[in-house]
Amino acid sequence: MDHWRSNSPSGPIDQWRSRRTMTRFLRQVAAVGFDAIDTFDFRYWQILEQYGSVANYQEFVQEQGLERIVNTFHGVYYEPDRYAPEVPETHATIVEDFKVTMDRWSGIQLDNVIVMPGSRFYDDHGPTDDQLKHAADVWAKVGEVTQQYGVNLTCHHEHYAGIRNRRQIDTFYAYADPRYVKFFVDTAQHCIADVDPVDVYEAHHERVTGFHFKDTRNKDVNEDYKLFPDAEVSAVTTEKWFYEMGTAEGLVDFERMMRSVRDHGYEGWISVEHDKADKLGGDYAESTAISRWYAKNVLDGIYAGAGA
Amino acid sequence: MSAARWSYALNQWDTNIDTFVRKREHERALKTVSISGFSAVELTAASFGAWEPLGNPRQIRDLYGSVAAFGEVLRGCALDGISSYVYDPFIGFDVEMGRGHDPLDPSSAGPIAETSEWFAGTVRELGGSVLVVRPVGSAWQTGPLDDSQIEVLANLWDAVGRRTAALGVELALHVDFLSALRLGDGLDRLLAATDADVVGLALDTAELAVAGMDPVAVYRRHASRVRHVQLKDAREVVDEAEAMTPHAEQFVRTEGGRRGIERWFFEPTDEGGLVDFEAFVSALHEHGYAGWIVVESDQSPHPAESTMVSGWYVQKRLAPLLAR
Repeated sequence: MDHWRSNSPSGPIDQWRSRRTMTRFLRQVAAVGFDAIDTFDFRYWQILEQYGSVANYQEFVQEQGLERIVNTFHGVYYEPDRYAPEVPETHATIVEDFKVTMDRWSGIQLDNVIVMPGSRFYDDHGPTDDQLKHAADVWAKVGEVTQQYGVNLTCHHEHYAGIRNRRQIDTFYAYADPRYVKFFVDTAQHCIADVDPVDVYEAHHERVTGFHFKDTRNKDVNEDYKLFPDAEVSAVTTEKWFYEMGTAEGLVDFERMMRSVRDHGYEGWISVEHDKADKLGGDYAESTAISRWYAKNVLDGIYAGAGA
Repeated sequence: MSAARWSYALNQWDTNIDTFVRKREHERALKTVSISGFSAVELTAASFGAWEPLGNPRQIRDLYGSVAAFGEVLRGCALDGISSYVYDPFIGFDVEMGRGHDPLDPSSAGPIAETSEWFAGTVRELGGSVLVVRPVGSAWQTGPLDDSQIEVLANLWDAVGRRTAALGVELALHVDFLSALRLGDGLDRLLAATDADVVGLALDTAELAVAGMDPVAVYRRHASRVRHVQLKDAREVVDEAEAMTPHAEQFVRTEGGRRGIERWFFEPTDEGGLVDFEAFVSALHEHGYAGWIVVESDQSPHPAESTMVSGWYVQKRLAPLLAR
């Protein structure tokens, strides 16, 4: 996943600063053994400017030894009067947005377009059942659109989002058409929201189309999920929620997670994410290396040991 | 299949006293090196007691319990061990930032040989095969080396080489860009005066390039003596006049001289620098080089990034040149 910051002679930058910084980013990812990348689809305009087209950018990625771009994360502001899954009056806008988005990315073959299925924390009670049903309805319509391009619409549940706890997640998927609405498991986000990532995966594994593997050392015990603009940057509990898998004191049981992934016959991509890895002296490059070390030296063996 | 093996120098993490002390910091660096495609690490001798826990065998033992226990840590991080230790005789280990011995002082021969043997034993125990040494001081201290000085150095390093060879460790003389060996034909004469069976050359591409020497040409001239390679890049040259600056180690290497150069060394890449790595590695291949190739980026402000970017370059560009 393409959260990434590094320091340059001109201060902190991300990998999109230049083709040279992108080259170094991609080479770091490839050097430690990752096969592909994910990105955000809001990078579209920057891609046009720097590479000419999405297909050209993927070729650039491939020149550095990576296979392709697997997933994009759809970034959009959710506002009840304009664009909100829980508000039926905005659904036509949402569906139209995805027709445009899928057309823009049609130059390459993605596996998933990832969305936050609900708005940010909704109110003290969270979304009502009706609002969860409305959200499920619109994502089914969007999923029909994305599947015309051979791409899954898949839902990622931030710990500060409106669909965050286990009851909300289960209710949402009970309403959502499994043909069109898929589930993307983020181990750390679920853990922070006090949702066991293995249990929720096992409950919904048939519609899981991807993972973000990352760790955390804290659960939200201060109702940080209510904070503006989002708990990832405003929390009281910690200034740094996310750590790479393999970190000491991590709360996610990745070995159990991997056994479950193996035992349920999952054969898709697993994405490794480092969101805000540079907080408190962290380093994206190092986190990328450490997590890949862990995947190669610990998780690969578990996955290969079928039935163990 | 090439017999050469790829290692990475840890010196870029250990930039100052007490910056690289915790076992967790060691472990993260070792895993980063391993997953970037390298099979070993190079250690550098340092003097600041317990705050430089990889700086000498005693400190390794004090932190990890024993040298063997540190070897277990290396293997636990999916590395084979260490490739080499770099030892500068001017460093002393009895007091913090202590001073050691000048190789040109004949009375230093005993202590330098004993210390070399101390490091070589640890190299062997940790699976390595080379002791890299700074064979002489800087150009500003000596000027061009005369025959008697060459003889003193040759006697010293022959004696050291015999002792390390007895431990199964090769001795390799390292030429830095301020070294007295950059002047005239000092390097050629020292190599000619030493026993080729026990004294080899450690060829550092960037140090030679900063000294205005072509590392490919130096390698071709001394290929039969090269026992060790350190691979890094440089972008600026220090001419002989600048190298003769009094206390050039401080005023040129550390402070950057009149130009204020803040960083002399860069990881190997194809981004453009003084070193033609593909030509250099092709030359290694032509001569059947079978030793360690240690990638370095001392002075990198981003150790993990430098390791990974150079790891990519080794995997995709340089290693295939050796595998032809």
